[in-house]
Amino acid sequence: MAIRSVLGLFNNEDTAADALDALNEAGFDQSEYEVLTGTPYPEGTFGEAEPVHKLYRFPLIGAACGFIVGLLLTSGTQLAFPLVTGGKPILSIPPMAIIMYEGTMLGAILFTVVGIIFESRLPRLLMGAYNTKITEGAIGVAVTTDETKVSQAEDVLRNAGAEDLKRGWETEQNR
Amino acid sequence: MHNGESQNGQANLATPAGINTDLLKRHGNTGKLFRSVLLVTGIMFLVGIVGIVLRLLEDGTENTRVWGYHAAAFAFILTTAQGAVMVAIAPRMAKAHWRRPISRVAEMFAVVGIVNLLMFIPLLSVLPSLEDGRRSLWFYNAADPILSKVPVYTPHIWASLSLIFLVLSGLMLLWVSSLADLATIRDSSSGRKHRFFAWLANGWHGTSKQWFMKYHRIGILGAFYFMMLIFTHFLIATDFDMALIPGWIDALFPITHAANSLQAGCATVIIAMFVLRRFGGYGDWIGLDQFWGLGKLMFALSLLWFWFWFSSFIILWYGSRPNEESVLNLIIRGPYQPAFMAAFILNFIAPLFMMMWNPVRKSIWGPTLVATGILIGTFFDRIRLYVSAYSIPGIGDSSVDKHMLHEIPQTVMPHFIDYMIWVGAIGGSVFVYMLATRIFPIINIWEQKELLLYKFHKKLHRTEVLVLGKPD
Repeated sequence: MAIRSVLGLFNNEDTAADALDALNEAGFDQSEYEVLTGTPYPEGTFGEAEPVHKLYRFPLIGAACGFIVGLLLTSGTQLAFPLVTGGKPILSIPPMAIIMYEGTMLGAILFTVVGIIFESRLPRLLMGAYNTKITEGAIGVAVTTDETKVSQAEDVLRNAGAEDLKRGWETEQNR
Repeated sequence: MHNGESQNGQANLATPAGINTDLLKRHGNTGKLFRSVLLVTGIMFLVGIVGIVLRLLEDGTENTRVWGYHAAAFAFILTTAQGAVMVAIAPRMAKAHWRRPISRVAEMFAVVGIVNLLMFIPLLSVLPSLEDGRRSLWFYNAADPILSKVPVYTPHIWASLSLIFLVLSGLMLLWVSSLADLATIRDSSSGRKHRFFAWLANGWHGTSKQWFMKYHRIGILGAFYFMMLIFTHFLIATDFDMALIPGWIDALFPITHAANSLQAGCATVIIAMFVLRRFGGYGDWIGLDQFWGLGKLMFALSLLWFWFWFSSFIILWYGSRPNEESVLNLIIRGPYQPAFMAAFILNFIAPLFMMMWNPVRKSIWGPTLVATGILIGTFFDRIRLYVSAYSIPGIGDSSVDKHMLHEIPQTVMPHFIDYMIWVGAIGGSVFVYMLATRIFPIINIWEQKELLLYKFHKKLHRTEVLVLGKPD
């Protein structure tokens, strides 16, 4: 099924929030519409759904991998070449901590960088409707839905007080 | 719109469009002064590159003595410019409003890390392997059948990785933080410029999810930058300085090195703020609030400078073993005493006795003057620590005793090539920073627009007050 998007432009926060309510009442799912702003409004300003993200997974997995590599490297070498120094245990934690710390950090940073690139590109290979007025303070409400529902979305946005409407993402794509 | 210079650094622009117009206009303008300074610093950068090439051709990398000033220049940039990024991170985490106009100024110092990464390359060749028997973190011992298997270039490997990832996390932080501003430039430009910024903005449309992710990424990358900065200082201070001086064992020195970086980082940003305000045309964006706020941080860190130094000094001084005495004779009492005194006065005494006064602390010229002193003091401090360390005879020679310094080497005065390298290090840092200002707006546009959401004027009895809110 082809996906289309339509953008309604609003000049104030209240009408944009009302548009979201109207879309909800018209039967659009929360995943079908989003708010576009040039300013980071506090979460929930427009009554939109709280974004779900997997950001922390990347650094956590990276940190775990780096830590494990650091641990294996340090403990493995010490166990492979066991040398008792001053009666202390073979596995000496303080020097191991240096490598394990760096391993943890390197893994976490590497995975974070990969995560940022991954999450930045994959969710939206094709960008939907957009208007440059958004960076100047206008608030956009973008509806991305089946082409059969685009006209309905336009009506809802227009009735909610959208100053301008724009279609986008006119590319066939399977859902 | 706005006339003259504001005191609180928040130009009186009431709409996002007004902020866009004002800051994009400034971003797009390159005056004659800018181009002249860019040209001069570009030439300085080239002079530095020629200096390093000359040094390599004339002296090679065997004789560590001639590389002391190069190592000091590297450590100076690490301490100042690479520490400056922290000014964007810590106050942002505290949700301070005064730092909004200067966060990008600080973040942008991440690009200077690229210059320092280049400067680090020759040092990898200069630092001998662990085979010379110096005492290090890495437990290498040629005489031991097991410990002799420790890779002899371990310090080189870990320090390189650490520095590379420090620079990488700084650049990622700068990019992620700038995404919304890059999109703003994209939306207001056309042709090749539009395509370039569209590529950099990476599909930024300002959806709730993108803003949400951006905030979290800034937080994560900021935390990683801080952790890597401390760790890089730890490795550089240990392997590229302390381990070269026989008999110097000081658990506090690496963290002292890192703490110095936080102080010098604040000083670097204050100088950049002053230059932007005085010569860059940002007088109505960077005002008293920013100097006052950052000046207080710098003051606190100047007091810490003494605390860290004294904690190390008292152990060596009370211990007074021959190896400890020789270290004190090298880096404090001996040939580098003038450099130490300069650092002590400029990094601690002068900030203490100047910043303790309200009129000085709450001014623009006061913190700037103190910051200039701190940078000069840091310059001397890095010279005393690194030039002295690299001048020790017998580095790389396993037949020389590495447990105690028996003879204090004479002061190494800079050679003509050393001047070239220092000129290149400073010039290259400024050059790269200035080039970055052509891409990233020096004042954070989206954070200024965000501030509009959280400030309003309220009548309070017979006066009017500015009320500032904070995001939850």
